[in-house]
Amino acid sequence: KELGCRTTHCNLEVVHRSTLVFLATKPHILPGVLEEIRPAVGPHHIVVSLVAGITIQTLQRLLPPWTKVLRIMPNLPCVVQAGAMVFSRGSNAGDEEAALLKSLLSSCGLCEEVPESYIDIHTGLSGSGVAYVYLFAEALAEGAVKMGMPGALASRIAAQTLLGAAKMLLETGEHPAKLRGDVCTPGGTTIYALHQLEKGALRATVMDAVEAATNRACDMAKD
Amino acid sequence: MSVGFIGAGQLAFALARGFTAAGVLAAHKIMASSPDTDLPTVSGLRKIGVNFTVSNKDTVKSSDVLFLAVKPPIIPFILEEVGPDIEARHIVVSCAAGVTISSIEKKLSTFCPTPKVIRCMTNTPVIVREGATVYATGTHADVEDGKLLEQLMASVGFCTEVEEDLIDAVTGLSGSGPAYAFTALDALADGGVKMGLPRRLAVRLGAQALLGAAKMLLESEQHPGQLKDNVCSPGGATIHALHFLESGGFRSLLINAVEASCIRTRELQHLADQEKISPAAIKKTLLDKVKLESPSLSVASASKVSLFTNKSKKN
Repeated sequence: KELGCRTTHCNLEVVHRSTLVFLATKPHILPGVLEEIRPAVGPHHIVVSLVAGITIQTLQRLLPPWTKVLRIMPNLPCVVQAGAMVFSRGSNAGDEEAALLKSLLSSCGLCEEVPESYIDIHTGLSGSGVAYVYLFAEALAEGAVKMGMPGALASRIAAQTLLGAAKMLLETGEHPAKLRGDVCTPGGTTIYALHQLEKGALRATVMDAVEAATNRACDMAKD
Repeated sequence: MSVGFIGAGQLAFALARGFTAAGVLAAHKIMASSPDTDLPTVSGLRKIGVNFTVSNKDTVKSSDVLFLAVKPPIIPFILEEVGPDIEARHIVVSCAAGVTISSIEKKLSTFCPTPKVIRCMTNTPVIVREGATVYATGTHADVEDGKLLEQLMASVGFCTEVEEDLIDAVTGLSGSGPAYAFTALDALADGGVKMGLPRRLAVRLGAQALLGAAKMLLESEQHPGQLKDNVCSPGGATIHALHFLESGGFRSLLINAVEASCIRTRELQHLADQEKISPAAIKKTLLDKVKLESPSLSVASASKVSLFTNKSKKN
């Protein structure tokens, strides 16, 4: 309402008044909603599901057979237009629909078309990945607090460090290993710190995390 | 130009082998000396045509470039012994880990006012002409002297000049490095054998894989991280394997290893500066004196307390 959008309690009204319909319910609610709106869905509609774990196959099964369906997985920073989204198209969605979705969503961040099998991986990497970054930021700040810096300042600097590093990665297109090497002066502070991170097998732990979230996404989709 | 080696162990053998294979030096222009004639490397040196003697003094006299190829604790003894024969023309090259240029210059300056000293750190693959060598020049060594050594060592691999304070780090990395590689290769071969390969084939393939990877890296502009990525297809075999390596802290183990070797080198340097000699080294030197005085006496190993046992076998 604050953004100036109209709201309603009626799902059918949304379908009647829209060409592009986003499905943004919780997974267990969706089958009921699809049954409800199915009669109102026409060949002009483009149905885009944001619902975790519901496959294109399931969506197409619960909607009229000629429906243009696409599935998208966003992540939280879409709210600040720095999101990472991947989408896949169903059997009836063509280049026009894909291009429309991509151009619309690029306003929220990075938006790429992928095979559907990548969507669970995206969950593990970037959907949940945001939380890993928050954890890392918290830990960085705590390290600084331990060494004597006030918490609020440490948190701000931690966040800016992550933002800056990410920006350099995206803008230079350089391999992260190379950028890491560029920061490491021989015998300097950075290499000492990196050694600690390697001792803690940080890399393997992060790989484990992505793997765990991806597997969980796959398992949940089967339920 | 003639080259001499004080010491006829692994290092002397590796360098002599490399120089002769590279054709920069004829074997008869090389002399090596050691009091211990039973070393396997001694017969190796003889086989390639190097002149062998038990007299360090003879080696010094017949050499222009003199390599000190003995263990670090022995260096001070050697310098005492051959110091009087060192002349301004000699280029004294120390390959001993942790032994500083200044400590050598200090010892030699009692005999020769301007000794030319170069400190060098190489590694065993010089034997197959793929060595990694760095050197630092001492106070009285000219640019030409450094270049002469560089020419020699470049014939057996990579060679570059560095500041002396980096040499300990080089020891940790490329000095000890071949040992890390041999350990890795042994384990890789075990992996191959576990999965069904015959041992010989597993060793051959493992070694070739590392050789090829190293060659790719040396010839590529790319970061090793990028080269690694190029091998890892999504969801494939390699990335699964790498995950295991990361879980085991593979990277940190290697960092630890280089660090440990470098730190140990500095400890050795510290000990040498204080001229603390290990008991084994002292015994060996006494042993040498005994041998020189009575060559017909059968010798006991350095670990036995008594030097005058009857017909005892060498350990």
